[in-house]
Amino acid sequence: MTALDTVTAPAVTRHTSPSRGLVLAMLRLHRTALLFWLGLVVVAAGALLWAMGPGADAAWAEYTDLGCDQAAPNLGCDSPGPANSRYQTAVTVAIGLVRLLPLLTGAWAGGALIGRELENGTAQLAWTQSVGPARWLAAKLAVPALLLVTGTLTLTLLHRMLWSADRGAAINVMGWRAWHDTGVFEVNGTIAAAEALAALALGVLAGMLLRRTLPALGVAVLTVMSLVYVLDALRPYLWPVKTVVTSLDDGTPGIDSMIVETGAMTASGARVPIPSCSGEPGCDARTGITHYYADYHPASHFWPLQLMETGLLLAVAALAAATAFVLLRRRTGAAV
Amino acid sequence: MTALGTATAPAVPPGGLVRTVARTHRTALVLTLLVLATATAALAWLHSLGDEARAGNRACATPPTDGLPSCAAVEAITVDETYASGLAVIATVLSWVMFPVAAWAGGALVGRELESGTAQLAWTQSVGPLRWLAAKLAAPAALLTAGTGGLVLVNVWARGDSNPNLAGDWYYPDVFVSTGPVAVAYALAGLALGALAGLVWRRALPAAGVALAASLLLHSLLERHREDLWPSVTRTEAGSFELPRSALQVAWADSPVNGVPVTRATFHPESHFWPLQYVETGLLLAVAATATAAAFVLLARRLP
Amino acid sequence: MTDTAIEAAGLGRRFGRRRAPALDGCTFRLPAGRVCALTGPNGAGKSTLLALAAGLLRPTEGGITVLGTTPAAARERLAYVAQHKPLHPQLTIAGTLRLGRDLNPRRWDARVAERIVAEGGLDPDTKIRALSGGQRTRVALALALGKRPELLLLDEPMADLDPLARHQLTATLMADAADHGTTVVMSSHVVAELEGSCDHLLLLGSGRVRLAGPLDDLLAAHTLVTGRAGKALDPHTVVESRATGRQLTALVRPAGPLGDGFQSDRPSLEEVVLAHLRSPDAPPLLLDRRGAAV
Repeated sequence: MTALDTVTAPAVTRHTSPSRGLVLAMLRLHRTALLFWLGLVVVAAGALLWAMGPGADAAWAEYTDLGCDQAAPNLGCDSPGPANSRYQTAVTVAIGLVRLLPLLTGAWAGGALIGRELENGTAQLAWTQSVGPARWLAAKLAVPALLLVTGTLTLTLLHRMLWSADRGAAINVMGWRAWHDTGVFEVNGTIAAAEALAALALGVLAGMLLRRTLPALGVAVLTVMSLVYVLDALRPYLWPVKTVVTSLDDGTPGIDSMIVETGAMTASGARVPIPSCSGEPGCDARTGITHYYADYHPASHFWPLQLMETGLLLAVAALAAATAFVLLRRRTGAAV
Repeated sequence: MTALGTATAPAVPPGGLVRTVARTHRTALVLTLLVLATATAALAWLHSLGDEARAGNRACATPPTDGLPSCAAVEAITVDETYASGLAVIATVLSWVMFPVAAWAGGALVGRELESGTAQLAWTQSVGPLRWLAAKLAAPAALLTAGTGGLVLVNVWARGDSNPNLAGDWYYPDVFVSTGPVAVAYALAGLALGALAGLVWRRALPAAGVALAASLLLHSLLERHREDLWPSVTRTEAGSFELPRSALQVAWADSPVNGVPVTRATFHPESHFWPLQYVETGLLLAVAATATAAAFVLLARRLP
Repeated sequence: MTDTAIEAAGLGRRFGRRRAPALDGCTFRLPAGRVCALTGPNGAGKSTLLALAAGLLRPTEGGITVLGTTPAAARERLAYVAQHKPLHPQLTIAGTLRLGRDLNPRRWDARVAERIVAEGGLDPDTKIRALSGGQRTRVALALALGKRPELLLLDEPMADLDPLARHQLTATLMADAADHGTTVVMSSHVVAELEGSCDHLLLLGSGRVRLAGPLDDLLAAHTLVTGRAGKALDPHTVVESRATGRQLTALVRPAGPLGDGFQSDRPSLEEVVLAHLRSPDAPPLLLDRRGAAV
């Protein structure tokens, strides 16, 4: 019979909590992704900072030199000169990186974060350490989430500074961007961060479901693209619209806001599409049109729309994360 | 000891290799064919909308005079918006084919096989490594050339007379790429870059990432400097003039010379479309050829 | 520390409705402090059993208790090494051990882990990707033993090791087990080696337990008999019998003295295992019940 000694206490001097160890292990393991993320944030932030300072100054100088701020701008103002081009490129690069982020996050989360570990067994290696599967998955979600939100919010703040500086000028150079344009709308508020979180959760879920690197990557990319597309389409309907009604003499309203729907109204208030005979004498009497209307969102609806869409995205993220935990529990039966 | 004559290993018929590649990458093949079929069907449908769409884009007058219809009537036709957005979507898809192709080539085509060892499995069959790489590249290249080329032709057909209001100006980036051989060249360059990345990194995920990044860089660079690929035309005139819409403006200077207002415009007229296409195609094919050659050299270097 | 390392009651695990179950109604008890050999043909369910004990899978029937509680609760006190020794290829050996320390903060003993790595002459800054199969096994074992487990679950640990490495690592394991009373469960195909190092046997076949109990008792319960063909062997339990011409060779569990005309011999472990593998219908023998002679 072997000597049944009690297990001697290990010579461990540190009393770190398991969670801190898990966070450190995760950061070391996904070092490459961490560096890539830092690099992306630095490049985008750099582009925005340059655009706010020297970029805008040079673009404005070129603009005024060409006389584009005069009452009768010459035709060369139709195309941007080199300084304006550089300004536009810098802003486009920054916005482009932020718009690409959900796709990249979903692909990485599905492929490298979860899928690869389940495929080659290192996930199971981690599950038999003292932390257990549930804590492992929680760390896999929490650590990237924190880093993504911090970085995206930094870029959001920088872009908002750029945006307000731009609007503040007497005549804005960058009148080509409206507050409700795709890309501008997301990065000016909380949607960019929420999209990244939703993409992370969807990628993790794809990895847990498919358990193989490349299929999880592909499915995550397709899912994130679909999500972004659907939300883009839903965006105008997330908050009650304002309606403006104009008389027939004034013509159809043309507002500089997010137009949702426009048409004509009859005397009873019923909405009809603008008739094809419109403009001809007697047409309005024949078809019973009395006014034109437009449903739109003014700029004051920016934050309500942002928060509604952010809420939707966070709900998607929470649902995907919860499903991933349920899947994990079904596989391992682990309580913690 | 019997003299063992060097029996040449039975040559694997090329059909066998292609079949193996097709079977290994079944999913990608099915997806590609699906996308091709959907895009072709969409373009055929858009073409059928063409006449109505042009009707929705005519000159008009309010009230209708001189045979011109009323503007409200013209505005009420929404088919032209559907036509325009449909064509725009297809143009974007065609010009972005390079990105998923590069990521797939780096990840699934080459990278994963080198990582998991199934490439070495193939090499110890009667097929040597160089033939393996050749088959891996040739089969997708053929499918991409035929598919993208066919789609470009169908796209041009669906665009009809290329009314810029409906189908976009010829120099608009997505339109430029999707109406000429450049689209095919982009796809082939993406494939070659992906294969090279897969051979360099020998692991699926890094190769896919690097291939995608390289493609993004190449695509952006060419888009920004497209106008430098062919000498532009400069027109200098006293007084002021206006360039037609069909001209891609490169530079504009409006400074007076000796008190006389002189306008100098540098631009590419529409007749420069084909020279620009050829030069860009040539550049991209050169990139593809260099990447492919580098891939083969790298593979040959590693073998005894 | 409890006196039972693993106890299974009717344990079953099924993957998919149409396939035969990987484990079917397994009941056995492994006392603590033993070095148990888990053996059986391919597809017998050895890896499944180890994964269930490690808390990586959920049983579809029955239950299993490890170190007196559920596998999930005992996670800190057990260590598991899977068959293909999964390790993160991009980390170095030092990085892998640091991972072990980070994920097991309350029980990590760095000296043990580093000693095992150093015994193999490995440079801690080598990436896992660059290691051979045997070196990976060494690192995986270091990761497991650094956790100071009370129960060690090893799935074919010696599979890709050369004879010298196999000898060295077995010695390391046995020394560690003897010093700390660790229970070791090792699955393996190389039966001859198990005889020297193990004192408990668990033989699985088609997902069921065929033999379970202390090795010596199991061997003592079997006799290799040779005699003339045609002679009846009841009332003894016949595990396997083969007739060649006029000669009959059989492995039996004698239920009393053998009759005349039979020559009896003590079988080796290999012969017992092979006989059970060759005749899957032989009745199982379980000698591990509590209170049974130890």
